[in-house]
Amino acid sequence: MANLPKTEAGHELAIHVRGVSKTFGQGEAAIHALKDVDFDARKGEMLMIVGPSGCGKTTLLSVIAGTLTFEKGEIDVFDAALQGMKQRAITEFRKRNVGFIFQQFNLIPTINLLENVSVPLLINGWTRRRAEEKAAATLAVVGLAGREKDLPTMMSGGQQQRVAIARALVHDPRLVICDEPTSALDKDTGGHIMELLREVARHPDRCVVVVTHDSRVFKYSDRMAEMEDGRVERIHESFDQYANKQGL
Amino acid sequence: MLLGDRSKYLMLVGGLTFAALLMTQQCGVFIGLLSWTTSHMRNMRASIWVVDPKVEQINEIKAMRDTDVNRVRSVSAVAYAVPLYAGILQARVADGSFKPVQIIGLDATTLVGRPPRILAGRLEDLRLPNTVMIDELAVTRLSLDPKRPLRIGDSFEINDREARVIGICRTDRHFFGYPYVYTTYEQALQFAPPTRKMLSMVLAEPAAGFTAEQAARQIEGETHLKAYTEAEFSASTLRWFFRNTGIPASFGTTILLGFIVGVAIAGQTFYSFVLENLRHLGALKAMGASNALLGRMLLLQAFTVGLIGYGLGVGLTVLFGMVVMRTGQPPFLLPYQLPLATLVVILLICSLAALLGIRKIYKLEPAVVFRG
Repeated sequence: MANLPKTEAGHELAIHVRGVSKTFGQGEAAIHALKDVDFDARKGEMLMIVGPSGCGKTTLLSVIAGTLTFEKGEIDVFDAALQGMKQRAITEFRKRNVGFIFQQFNLIPTINLLENVSVPLLINGWTRRRAEEKAAATLAVVGLAGREKDLPTMMSGGQQQRVAIARALVHDPRLVICDEPTSALDKDTGGHIMELLREVARHPDRCVVVVTHDSRVFKYSDRMAEMEDGRVERIHESFDQYANKQGL
Repeated sequence: MLLGDRSKYLMLVGGLTFAALLMTQQCGVFIGLLSWTTSHMRNMRASIWVVDPKVEQINEIKAMRDTDVNRVRSVSAVAYAVPLYAGILQARVADGSFKPVQIIGLDATTLVGRPPRILAGRLEDLRLPNTVMIDELAVTRLSLDPKRPLRIGDSFEINDREARVIGICRTDRHFFGYPYVYTTYEQALQFAPPTRKMLSMVLAEPAAGFTAEQAARQIEGETHLKAYTEAEFSASTLRWFFRNTGIPASFGTTILLGFIVGVAIAGQTFYSFVLENLRHLGALKAMGASNALLGRMLLLQAFTVGLIGYGLGVGLTVLFGMVVMRTGQPPFLLPYQLPLATLVVILLICSLAALLGIRKIYKLEPAVVFRG
């Protein structure tokens, strides 16, 4: 059990990453995807991880979410220390604490919206009836009340991402992981989705981490972590700071 | 997931239906065919069958001396023993054509070895001269006009002797496909071309206080003839057919093909279903679904299509059985163990198919969902 320190400004930490390294492959073919990464995320914020392709954003997201193991360093996510945790415990941690939003939505096309959104609750051992009641309420929160019986294939990209958000939130996770949530959407739809995610992040015991290339949505972030060559090079305390630095 | 993927679902159900149909139907025909090899036993019925020591199966006749009946009767464990003639002779029908028939000559006093079910006439009338009781197949085979089938009072010839029909009976069809013609032992000897030894076998019953096995062993010990109980003769006959004919290998190959086709179609389709849905399965795994949960999910889907395919396959086999039971060809028998065995094999096929996918899932890193 980790007791995360507060920042100097008194912000409570949700994620505390120190000296994390991850290498794919061996010998000459080895790729050092993460090199001694240090990085924090706060409770109640939406943090964006940005940087060029291949800089290690997705790998960092994966190790924070517990979907990928790492060789070195420490990762504390809320009250869980991921280093040294057994695979079964990590699965259990993800099940209870992490919500996922993927670039391609990853909704199961052959089951309806209600069933899709119920999935995390069913995985957590809820009964089908209770899970569907909660799923219906969560669909209403993302503006899809009355569409419960529709199939994902009947929805637009924006609507599918809303369903994915409902699925990510239905079990009240403390950490919401978003991988390129707007890259498959047009500007307006992407903006709506980011506003929704920012509302999600405004929870005192939650943190939303977004990996994105989509510069159109950078402005929705609370803070930005800039990655380069396997390291977090800079943390920008606001989009404006990032924009000034980039000369945008 | 699988039920929503219509093309794969139909492919799997179709493959498993075909496998279940092929395995059950071919096994049914095989069992039916094997049952034909022992139909003499059901058409004559006796506790103990005494034959020449070289005889291994019921369809094999090695004639014995007439005195052998008395030797069997002299065994203390035997309640009674009667002679029986069994042979294939040519029946000459009214238009002059010849048809092979299976002649069964029964002891005239006891009529032991009588047909299992008499449909018309009296068996006792066999004691009248030149009389026979024929089965339904003989009625069909020996009648000149289907609209005017052979009936009681009609006659035909066997070896230039009149055979007058005094009754119609129902028998189990024989492996060789010849119709049964029952008569008395003495009459059968009149029909059959004379040879030095005419007795085909002796039918016996154990005396009170002896089991059939005990009596059979005592007959063998005292007469040096071969004595089989019903179960022993049936098993020996089946063993003989397994050893000396290509029937088991031929049916075995077809049944094996059914199994292989089932494994190939189910395995390949199910595996490609898993591969195509790896993204979704990875997402479920990322969300915290354990390998065991995903494995159970795949097994459930595999068993669901398996049970549907099994139901359809066995249903089609039953339909086939209903049709062939009307015509009597090809042989078909569906003991309850056969659908049960097919169910086990189909579930095995589904388990093998699911295992391929489960193996893939166990190796799947949940982080795969973040890779485009």
